[in-house]
Order: sequence, then structure tokens, then C-alpha cells
Amino acid sequence: MESNNLTYTKLLETNNLIRSAGEETYFLGVTRTVQESKFFPVSAYIMLGYLNAFYRYPSLLRKIGAIMAPEDLADRVRNSTSKIQSMGTNWCMINFYLLGREMLIDMGLIRPQDAAEDVAFVLEFWRRYQLAWRRETGHLTNKEGGHRSQILPERRVQVYHADMYLCEEGDPLHTAADRFMAAISQYAVLVACESRVCMTNHGPYNLGNGRELLVRDFFDLAEGDLPWLDGVAKNVPHARLTITTAVKDTHFYMVDDWGSFESRPEYKAENICGVGLYTSDELSETQIPVGMGSRSELIETFESYAEIFKEATKNLWERFAGYSRDQLLDAGALTYYSIIKDFAHVAGCYENSDWMEIDERADRFRVLLNDEYGNMLLGALFVPLTLASQQCSEYTMMCHTDLPKRSYSPIPYSTLADGEFVPSVGDVLGAGITYLPEKVDRYRTTQGVLGLDELNRRTRAFTPALYSERFRYLDDAWVKYNYESPLADELYRIEQASSRQLRDRGAGLRRDDIDNIRDENTGSEMVP
Amino acid sequence: MANLYTDVDKYEDAASPPSVVAILHGAIKDLVRRRLDQTGVSWQEFVFDKSYALVSAADLNEIERKVVDGGYRYTGSALISAVERPGAYAPMNEADGASPDFTFEHDEAMVEPVDSTGRQRRGQGDNVVEFPANTIGTARYYRSIQDVMIGLTEGVPEGTIAIIDDSGGTLTAPILEHFHGVICAGGTVRSHLGILTREYGIPCLMNARVSGIRGGDRVELEVSGRAKTAEAYQRGEDMSVRVWKLPAN
Repeated sequence: MESNNLTYTKLLETNNLIRSAGEETYFLGVTRTVQESKFFPVSAYIMLGYLNAFYRYPSLLRKIGAIMAPEDLADRVRNSTSKIQSMGTNWCMINFYLLGREMLIDMGLIRPQDAAEDVAFVLEFWRRYQLAWRRETGHLTNKEGGHRSQILPERRVQVYHADMYLCEEGDPLHTAADRFMAAISQYAVLVACESRVCMTNHGPYNLGNGRELLVRDFFDLAEGDLPWLDGVAKNVPHARLTITTAVKDTHFYMVDDWGSFESRPEYKAENICGVGLYTSDELSETQIPVGMGSRSELIETFESYAEIFKEATKNLWERFAGYSRDQLLDAGALTYYSIIKDFAHVAGCYENSDWMEIDERADRFRVLLNDEYGNMLLGALFVPLTLASQQCSEYTMMCHTDLPKRSYSPIPYSTLADGEFVPSVGDVLGAGITYLPEKVDRYRTTQGVLGLDELNRRTRAFTPALYSERFRYLDDAWVKYNYESPLADELYRIEQASSRQLRDRGAGLRRDDIDNIRDENTGSEMVP
Repeated sequence: MANLYTDVDKYEDAASPPSVVAILHGAIKDLVRRRLDQTGVSWQEFVFDKSYALVSAADLNEIERKVVDGGYRYTGSALISAVERPGAYAPMNEADGASPDFTFEHDEAMVEPVDSTGRQRRGQGDNVVEFPANTIGTARYYRSIQDVMIGLTEGVPEGTIAIIDDSGGTLTAPILEHFHGVICAGGTVRSHLGILTREYGIPCLMNARVSGIRGGDRVELEVSGRAKTAEAYQRGEDMSVRVWKLPAN
């Protein structure tokens, strides 16, 4: 079949991304822990999520792309917290898709050249988005940046730095923050069906004086996209939360594309020396401080939220304990597959049926997805690389292993000459299937609880100032030479509008100035 | 019979897929060949169009049924899987720890004679966080939803050292913070259970290998020992700390 959309250049770029994604997948598979669960059929739901990604991502990304270009999505979401940052797009998006493709190749249901246009499109969409989202350092992934995840512009890091409250082990704030982080982490793992896709980390950012900033993001906490949170999460006040943590005497030498970190010495909560709390979404200009009016308010907020999350954990656990295996399979598969659903939220075109249903083309495999098959196939795909499609010439020495293997099948270049391929799975979604209860039309946002139509309408109607043509291209490279300009001041003041310490301070501050301002403004409040 | 594109593979002999994958994927390939023969459709018609009807859920169900009817029994991981399809899964080890005589018996558990203080080493595990002193408590098994439900409704007794074989963070989620300590017979210090116990400040040993510890036994965890590092896992270095059974009070 002829294609006007595949060129030699496009295929070369596509295969480059396929290869580098596969090598990092192998590295992560070797260095990170495979999660087990007696509660959820984890590997089985992961397989279902991968298959759903293969069949649905191309058409849904085309639908989103018709509204907003990948670069526009990145700039629109730059100043808020979203699942399409860090782990969600660094690794999950393209690898979920490619892992689904590799499964089908091994089943003999597709050839490496089938869906070639889809593969090229999904990877190109991803590349353009990643380049724009990570433009401050210019890396496509954390891996490319030496396993570092510095994605925030100076103006946002300064606000985090200035507004965090200092703490030390044993004081009330440290204790409250510790308990809160334990409660929200546990809740997030349960919400995500024993996976980590509802929480991630980025950073580090150097705060000076032996301190590094690690930013911890949590997503999908409240009533919103995930049907299993309807009712049980009604008291959760924010769908997304960002916790800023300053950590002393600890160097985070690795933040990988799964959002996991390694540090020297080993990370210990006792070394947290500053904390802050924020929320945001597509309806907020930028990050909104939560309980940050005073030290005592933040302590009270952490304590009360910890109780809310514990109660929600109990309620959600009881709900899941009553679910059938098909329901647990759906919840997990949809948690994985929908990792990029926030593209649709940013574009204001989110539909429940697009993201919270299993496509019938993927669902037909449900009957095969027993625990052993899921565990074995997931293992084979990731590390031993034992499937037939993953074997190469004996001369090959794969990155990280030296064995003659590869994670993913490239698209053969012969495709360009013989045209022997079928370009796409098609633009029409298959019928959607779910065993989960019908989604309630309640979506917690920074503008209150909305119905989905209203949420999409408001998102489309709202243009954050920082996304406007006046500001969106003003990056740190520009600030370096223009920080004295009125425009730079204006830019920084937008970010500083909700800052307790930096409101209207403008663009001229350096890192050392931040600690001085804290000393001037807060006096004894800084002292635990 | 029709050939598939991947039937000719220069390096196929290097593949060594797990048997359950080889069985199921081999059966799917056979089905695809048959369907192509039976219908005469071209690959271009088949791959993203006709295949949805020609390789249907009913067809795949039939493949799976034959595997089970042929005597294959899957190894389960989620408790619900074997509960819903007991005939398709090999029996899981006693699914809960309710029996008073139940004990984990790991071959790798290092057991030593009773020492001069009356305590006896009954195993070891990877320490998640180094604490100033060892932790002592009463062993109780939490291995099933029923075990956790009892803990949820009746409360977790004070001083409980939970013995768990699920390194995930969800099975014990609603009662985890009430544990005095955890012995987990799986995972690593980076598993969700390890991460969450660290967040809660609960002493925890992961990847534990123990023997002869019954529910109600007093146990001591050597959590004053070094926490196992990522580098130690990568080097395959043993940094395990000890688990002792103590004389009854």
C-alpha cells in the first residue's frame, strides 16, 4: 500500500526513537523493581492497557492534535501540574504503545511494518511535545539529560524556594508533613491500582547550602476521570497536589523516566528541611498555594488532609475488595492506558468513552490475560527479551546487556520501496467496553466541582496569561539577557502573584536573594 | 497452510519465551494461518479489518479453554484470580494466615541454635531503614483480604509485627500504619510496601526468608542494621539483617 506520509527521513527518525526507547526500557527494567500484588492482577492489567494504547492512541492523538499542536499543549500546561509531565510522557506514553505493538507482533497478528504511519505519528507527536515541554534543557527525556529532571523555569523554582516553610525532624511541621506524605503516597498507590502512575517526582534543583529541591506531584486524587473514585473521594479537596521538599545533605544523583530517584546518602525523611503545598490544573493560571498562609495553617492542612486521605484509602480499599477480577482488570488497565488523557483535558476535548473504556479490539484478548501469562509476558518483554521478535544477529551487542537482542522491532526500510504495509489501525475507535460502574458526572477542579461539558468549555475558554503570545516564548535563555526589562518583570510577577514572599518582586532576584528575603519577611516563623 | 510474515525468522532459534506465552501465542498464530486459508482474504484486508471478526474473543476463549482442559494450571498472583477460576489455577499456598499452625518455611532462611539470651535466629531480610534499635513485637500473618478485613474491623493488636508475602502497597493499605513492624517475604526495599513503610516510619524487612515463626510468637527484627542500598542490589551483595524468635513472656 502506498503512503504519502512515510519518507526515508521520517522512518529514520522513528526507528531512532524506537531504539532509544527500548534501551531505556531495558535499563529501567533491570534497575527498578517489578511490583507484585495479591490484590490486583497487575501484569495482566498492564498487558490490557498496552493493547488498548496500541489501538486507541493514534486516533485519539489525532483528535487532540486537530485542536492543539503538541508544542501548544506543552506551553499551555507548562505552569500547572499534569500527568503529561515527567513519567507520563517521559516513558509511559510511547513505551505503552510500543509494548502493545510488540505483543501483537509476537502473536503474529501484525508485522513490524504494519501501522507504520501510526507508529511514526505517535512518536513524532511525543517528540514534539517533549521538546517543547522540556525546552529549558532541550532534552527529550530524563535519560538524555543524564537521568536528571530539571524542567521548571527559574521563576517557578524561586517561588517554591521562597515560600516553603523550613522544618526539621521532630518539629510539628516536619511530623505533619511526614504523615501527610505517607498517607497521600499510600492513597495514590491504591488509586493507581498498585502502580505509581498517580505520583511522580522531578528535580533536583539546587537551593544552595547543601539543599536540593525535589518536587513531588500527585494526580487524580479526587472525584474526576477515574470512575472508582466516585463517592469514595468526595471529601478529597484537590485532584492534583504538588509537594515541594527541600532536602539537606542529600544529593539526588538520579531521577529516572519513571520518576524514581536515587540519592547519596540514602534518602531519609529526617533530612527534609523545607516543605510547601500547591494545587493547579488547566483552569489555573499557575500553581495555587494550599494552606500556605502561615506555618500553623500548613501544619493544620497537612494533618487534616492526611486524615482525609486515610479515610478515602479505607473506603476505596473496601470498594476494590468487592470488585470482580474483570473490574480490577479494567481499573488497572485504564489507569495505565489513560496516562496521557490529560492531553485531552488540555485541549478541552476530554470524553469519558475515549479514555475510560477498553476498545473491543483490545478487549478480545481479555480471556488470555491470566496472572501467569501476564507476569511471564511482561517479564519477557522487559528484561530477558526472550520473544522471537527481540532476537538479533549474533554480532549485535545491545546497550546495557551486550546480548544480541532488542526491545522493540524497528520498521523495515524496505517498506519505502515495496509499499508492503498497512499504514494505520484506522481512525475510528472500536466499541468501548467496561465492567466498571457508570461514571458520575463530577469533576473536581480548581474552580470547584464541574460537569464534564462545563469543564471542557471552561478549559477551551481560558487562556492563561503565561500561554499568551506575549509571554509563552520567554524562556530562561531570554531572561538571562533581558531580566531588567519591564516585560521580564511582568512575566515574573504573573508567576509571583500568589506568592507569600515574592509578590511583585519581579525578575531581578538571584538564588541567594531568596533566602535573604525569607529572613527579612518571616523572622521567627522560619524557625521550627 | 498460509505463512505468516514472521514464520521466516533468521534468529528465531535464539528465542526462549516462557512456556505459557509460547503456548498461547503459538495457538494464535495457528488460528491466524487457518483463518487466512479459510477466508482467502489478503493480509492487507486482514490485519486491521477482518482480523477483528476472524480472531474474535470467542476464538481466543476457545484457545484458552483448550489449554486449561489439557491440564495446564496457571500460577496465580492476585488472590481473586484463583477464587474466580479455581479450576484454571494451581492451588495457591494456604491463602491466609488464619491457621494458628501456619508458618512460612523458606529454604533460604538461616536458622541457628537458641543463644544464651533464649532467642533463636529464624531468618533474615533486607532492612528498609536503619533505626537506632531493634524492634520487638508479636508476629501475625496478613496474607489475604479476609486477614486485612479482620484487622480493619477488629483493629490491629498493639505491637503487631505483620508477616506478609505481598510486597505491594495495596493489600494491607487500610491497616498498614497500625503495624509495629513488617516482615515481607518478597520484593525489595524499593517495592511499594518498602516505600510506604519508610514513609510511615515503620521498621520493615523486605525479601525476608524465615522459618518456624507462628502467629503469636514474639519476634525481634534487627532493624538497627544497615539499610540495603540500591548499589548492593545491583552488585548482588547480601546486606541482610537477622530475625529472631524470642522466648514467650
